[in-house]
Amino acid sequence: MKLRDEFLQELQNHLGQTNCDLAVTDGPRTLNCKIEQCDPLAVAITQLTLETSELASVDVAKLQAASQSLCQRVNYLLEPISPIETDADGCVVQMRSSPPQKNDAGRYYYELLLRRGGAVALCRYEKLAGTARSQVAATLTHEVLGRLTEDFNATIDEVLAS
Amino acid sequence: MLMDIERDQRRFKQIVRGRIRENLRKYITHGEMIGRKGKEVVSIPVPKLDVPRFRFGKNGSGGVGQGEGEIGQPIGKPGDDPGAAGGAGSEPGDGHFMEVEVALEELAAMLGDELELPRIEPKGTANITSEKSKYNTIRQTGPESLRHFKRTYLSALRRQISTGTYQPDDPYVVPVKSDKQYRSWNDVPKPEVNAVVIYLMDVSGSMTDDQKEIVRTEAFWIDTWLASQYQGLETRYIIHDAVAKEVDEHTFYHTRESGGTRISSAYKVCAELVKKSFPVEDWNIYCFQFSDGDNWGDDNREAFDLLSEKLLPTANLFCYGQVESPYGSGDFIEALRKQYQEHETLVLSDIRDKEGIYESIRTFLGKGK
Repeated sequence: MKLRDEFLQELQNHLGQTNCDLAVTDGPRTLNCKIEQCDPLAVAITQLTLETSELASVDVAKLQAASQSLCQRVNYLLEPISPIETDADGCVVQMRSSPPQKNDAGRYYYELLLRRGGAVALCRYEKLAGTARSQVAATLTHEVLGRLTEDFNATIDEVLAS
Repeated sequence: MLMDIERDQRRFKQIVRGRIRENLRKYITHGEMIGRKGKEVVSIPVPKLDVPRFRFGKNGSGGVGQGEGEIGQPIGKPGDDPGAAGGAGSEPGDGHFMEVEVALEELAAMLGDELELPRIEPKGTANITSEKSKYNTIRQTGPESLRHFKRTYLSALRRQISTGTYQPDDPYVVPVKSDKQYRSWNDVPKPEVNAVVIYLMDVSGSMTDDQKEIVRTEAFWIDTWLASQYQGLETRYIIHDAVAKEVDEHTFYHTRESGGTRISSAYKVCAELVKKSFPVEDWNIYCFQFSDGDNWGDDNREAFDLLSEKLLPTANLFCYGQVESPYGSGDFIEALRKQYQEHETLVLSDIRDKEGIYESIRTFLGKGK
């Protein structure tokens, strides 16, 4: 809760700013946010990552269980999220929009990575027709960003409790 | 009359074959014939020509102008009868198709013509020799089934003339045991050029059934072409996500894993397979790899090491097809382009969708290697 409140407060402090990084720490957990543009209603972010050293020794099975839970929690983005791949060697679970959003111009999707070490990260990609896939800014309201922070925190708590 | 119809039907079949040739691009792209593949032929569904024939009614059931009703009475409007058939449907009918059988060799020739594929020049000279039995000699002993009638009687005639027992007035020739000649064989070394096709496919979570269908269609045409170029064509299948294994054909096309993508794992299994079973001096080796190109993290380096050291030097052709997934195409193909630029043995192809199969086959097989 503290992390979310401080993060939302920091966003208020960054209103009107473009291309800046924001970091908020609460004990072993640090929330990093790469901001492309911060407006009063919404923020265009290229990455939102919750890093912690608490996940250093978890195994892949726990990460998989946590990723399932995270996908169920994060049901308020533009597309539903599902686990897609698990790298047992690197101990990483990749989640993506499933299905991705499609329109005449191309396809768009979120990607979340939950990794041992550890971090939960979110970013967005677009694949326009005839071009290579590229990372783009995800525009999220302050409220959604606050909720994502809570859900990332809850996921780490869940992994540690299991 | 019947003969004319049969002639027309034969002509129709010829036209249909021409139609297959014309529409080959459609068949290549949509893989309609793959499920109908036999050992030597494939069946292709094409529009059907129904041969008209008389259908006889029941005896005594009347004829034209018979039955109830008075002279001049209207016979009713369409739709008056509640049991009558309804109006025209909006869906296409599912009949009116016939299957034309085309030999795989003929299909390969059509493919070669359509894509202007060069004939393959096998690596080295004919490097495997097999013993073939050829009936090209005559012996004094053998089974009666192989007795050479003409030579036996000539020999008997020669003996009878030389011993003075032949009488032109009474020209009987009776072979005895020593006259009998039998066909016999020699083992002739026959040069053969053998080839192995190794398919590698990413079956990680991001590869969907649509991508696999593209791979299946493309593999069918590659097999068809290579089989027309080599007598002994072996096919092997490797699947991988973060780990790789050799599998049978069915498993290859129907497996879906949820692991991450580590292309190096497939290269490792492929290199071991080549080393163990297909010595490079004896085999023409073709590798066809398909993935969505979403290779995990730092795996590219290991994959490139294996490719450079173990696979590219041994393969006639190493083809990589990057099949676009719902999440777009990964970076692996670009990394390969950067690493190898214009490598002689490496062929790269972007396959965006089913329509891309056609160009991809031309890219892969157009080198004539």
